[in-house]
Amino acid sequence: MARAAPTPGQKLSFIFFIILGSLILYIDITSNNFQSIKNGFKSFKISSFYIAKEISIEPLKSILNFSKSKSQLAQENKNLREALELSYLNNYLISKENIFFKDKEIIKKAHNENNYKFEYDIAYLKSIDPNMYKCCDKHRMFIDIKQNSDNLFVESIVFNTEGLVGQIIDESKFYEVLLLTDISHSLPIKLNSSEFFCNAKGSGRSEYIICTYNPLVWTKEIKENQIFYTSGLGGIYPKDIEVGSVSSVEVVDSTQTNIEIKLLANPLNGNMFGVLRY
Amino acid sequence: MASLLKRLFLIIFINFIDQNIALLFSKIFIIIPLTFLAFSYYVYKSDKNISPLEAFSFGFFVDLISDSYFGLNTIIYCSTTYFINQNANSFKLFSYLQICLFFGLSASAYVGFSQLIINLYNFSYVTLLVSSFANIIFCFFIALIASYFPKRLSIKL
Repeated sequence: MARAAPTPGQKLSFIFFIILGSLILYIDITSNNFQSIKNGFKSFKISSFYIAKEISIEPLKSILNFSKSKSQLAQENKNLREALELSYLNNYLISKENIFFKDKEIIKKAHNENNYKFEYDIAYLKSIDPNMYKCCDKHRMFIDIKQNSDNLFVESIVFNTEGLVGQIIDESKFYEVLLLTDISHSLPIKLNSSEFFCNAKGSGRSEYIICTYNPLVWTKEIKENQIFYTSGLGGIYPKDIEVGSVSSVEVVDSTQTNIEIKLLANPLNGNMFGVLRY
Repeated sequence: MASLLKRLFLIIFINFIDQNIALLFSKIFIIIPLTFLAFSYYVYKSDKNISPLEAFSFGFFVDLISDSYFGLNTIIYCSTTYFINQNANSFKLFSYLQICLFFGLSASAYVGFSQLIINLYNFSYVTLLVSSFANIIFCFFIALIASYFPKRLSIKL
């Protein structure tokens, strides 16, 4: 049966809806007006997923474990694993063997001068979209912080057992973490010599951030594998934490050079994070 | 109502597959927008014209479940629906090859437009080009399967 071509009225409706869509798109890109709807839907999605899992998969799992007399063992294994991950996080932050701080003596000094708080909260990964993380500009993660008090966590830094991951930007049912690789993220960093400073922006690619500088201002050569540290200038991240190393240097023109820095930490590795209020 | 629910669940299911295979294919610079192709196919196969409100609602719903900017899929779905409605009768004169080319190229246009909006800083012509080929081949593949697929098992929307 033949389909009738759209009438002028239908054509006008299409034009109206396309203009309406464009307007909504413009508003969504330029403002955060729809963020609450998106966050609400994400919370609903995560909660429904967990409820569905609790109702459907978990009982089956427990029956299976019971039938094999392994449920207790599985629980013990889970507890041990959590304890192990926790000890990794502890070690990472305070051990002198790690690479968290540039100067290992800083830990001693910090304890004496009370500059750094080594109290941190444990957070568990709730959701991260690996597709967005691998392909696109917007790199976000949602975590659930295990806490007893009603502390404010916005602008707290988030790290895993490998290094810095990002900072908390929003607080609803779960905490939204802006990852270092998000294009809207900017991280003040410096070289070991504390002479070269720059703001590294997220590249939109997993594990890489980009620092842009003017070679007419800074004439010394920056080589591959040089290590960058946080400068502490932004007020969010503590000073002298190792961020990553130079993977490539690209000369764009006579006034602009881009340094691509490969980050130490990948948020996809591990489910447990530390949240440090600095 | 049941038909609408069926379509919504199908869209959610296809979007779920879409998001899962996207990670796999992104390593080889391929983006296959399954949800968009499924919706285009639905508009193409429909006996009557799809209303702009329906296209708008589906686009908005896909924006919500795929966590993209609101309006992105809405615009593309409305435009595609309009284009398919406009040329629905002309398509009957076309061969499978031409129709596959049309859907493959529309999917490439979708990839290009969505990448411009959500991934402007890392826009890649390689991804666009490779995705175009992949989408056209994918449409051929689907058309071939459809030819040999038992009609009795097809889903009535």
